[in-house]
Amino acid sequence: MNNEAPISNLSDINIQLWQRFKAGDSAALGQLAQVHYRALYNYSTKFSSDPDFIRDSIQELYLELWERREHLSETAFVKSYLLKALRHKLIKESIRLKRFQEPKQELFDLDHEDAPIESQIIADESSHSQSSHLKRIITLLSKRQQEIIYLRFYQNLDNEDIAHIMGLGRQSVSNLLHRTLKEIRQIWAPAEFIWALFLISSLLKPISHGICILL
Amino acid sequence: MDYRYHTAEELATDDLFRKWVTSPTPEITSFWLKWIADNPEKSVEVGMARELVLAVYDIHTDDLTEETLQHEIAEITRLAEIQKQNTNTNIYRLVRQPFWRVAAIFLLVSAIGLWLYSRENNAASPSAARHNHTRAAEMLIRENTGSHEMTVLLSDNSVATLSPGSIIRFPKTFAAGERKVILTGEAFFDVARNPKRPFLVYANETVTKVLGTSFRVKALDQENTVMVLVKTGRVSVYPKTEYETLQNKPHKKVSVIVLDPNQQAVFNRKENKLEKGIVINRQLLSELSVQKELIFDDKPVSQVFKSLQDMYGIAIDYNQEMLADCIISAQFSDENLKQRLSAICQAIGAGYEMVDGRIVITSKGCS
Repeated sequence: MNNEAPISNLSDINIQLWQRFKAGDSAALGQLAQVHYRALYNYSTKFSSDPDFIRDSIQELYLELWERREHLSETAFVKSYLLKALRHKLIKESIRLKRFQEPKQELFDLDHEDAPIESQIIADESSHSQSSHLKRIITLLSKRQQEIIYLRFYQNLDNEDIAHIMGLGRQSVSNLLHRTLKEIRQIWAPAEFIWALFLISSLLKPISHGICILL
Repeated sequence: MDYRYHTAEELATDDLFRKWVTSPTPEITSFWLKWIADNPEKSVEVGMARELVLAVYDIHTDDLTEETLQHEIAEITRLAEIQKQNTNTNIYRLVRQPFWRVAAIFLLVSAIGLWLYSRENNAASPSAARHNHTRAAEMLIRENTGSHEMTVLLSDNSVATLSPGSIIRFPKTFAAGERKVILTGEAFFDVARNPKRPFLVYANETVTKVLGTSFRVKALDQENTVMVLVKTGRVSVYPKTEYETLQNKPHKKVSVIVLDPNQQAVFNRKENKLEKGIVINRQLLSELSVQKELIFDDKPVSQVFKSLQDMYGIAIDYNQEMLADCIISAQFSDENLKQRLSAICQAIGAGYEMVDGRIVITSKGCS
């Protein structure tokens, strides 16, 4: 799932790739684009539900980098830079296209304040099964909190990268993340403690005859 | 790494842990199961971290398939190449300056005027232009009427191995922009790499486009399918109609299949459909149907060339005197002709070229 390798790792292959890109080798651009394409695509789906629009935007992003290749530093292909540039592009383009489209509510683009999370949880507590409890908690967080959880645990970025992408200070990110995780734990943990244990033991079962010594 | 003091959050962002949750291998799984057994007090954190990663992945799944991804990458590469060629001519940059914009418009208007004017005057004699065209691209035709494969050398150092009963048409010298050959029947291609000049194989209703690889095209007139099988490198296969659309409108999305090594494309001529799969008959991935093993032990290089000439039915030109002292040891089994030539030339510090269907060895001799 996560096959992204950081370009900035100073291995010989990456240096070579980077030099070939600078020298105008389009195949090298293709290889660089391959590294984070999935991550960028996934991120874009939070801003637009039109796959053609997403693909065009990512294509444009890479072709712009290509056009400026002589003036670029290696950071241009670091994941957080790409995500931020793409986010900017997507938002700018959707504003431009908005008058031609039906307004749709996307995952992160609205930033209104939500009702306190506990009351929402209680409101639909009864209708869902235990297994999707955490998912439900996450989807009921504010848009900003959802985005930070997404960037941290899906894209696996650190606080500094998240701050860079969301245009926040590093400390604000750290605070927001801490607060969000605390909220999740408060609602989720008490019920899930036992369940988490159950999960682990069920995990061990299918291969238990092979490693029964462990138990 | 010591994970004992880690919280659920830290575990959920650890690469090894995430790998276990999203795409486990037996080694990673046994590592974490052992770790849980060693640190039973951490099992709650582990459970929470697992759930967190799974929940986030579950919420944020997308519909991007591997095929779309590869197509998009190929598309980015292709458009980058076009962009580069445009920039190379510098028109793109010049047009951005106001003065040149005005100049360009002026030029365009006068060109249209001139064209309209001249069209009215000599509408009756277009033959001169047509004549020029045929001379610039002199086409050669090679037909394999024998019962063995035939090795055809192309002007760009590429090799086509033609199956019996097959015909290939190609220009004596390739044009600057692209390398185009027309195939009737079956051939294996070992294409010299040149990203700036794509190599195109037209075969029945398909166009196969490569930058430098080896692959086989099987397009027999009597069969309902055209097959393209890839040995090395990456190959794009288009229905011919789609490829032609692309020539007129480079930004249009057309149907294409991108093949990696050991993959094949099958074009169904009746249904006009292109499908991708894995190469089943691996025999088709070698240049000659019978690859003969060659072993040379401290032999003069002239003897090696002689063997290659006989095996591939080709002519190799070299300076006998100059290479008299060149002795080599080599062993070939499933190498292509180009690989064999490269290996030999490297050993004796020589180079090779393909000129008028012959191989010409350039060397300063061995001492």
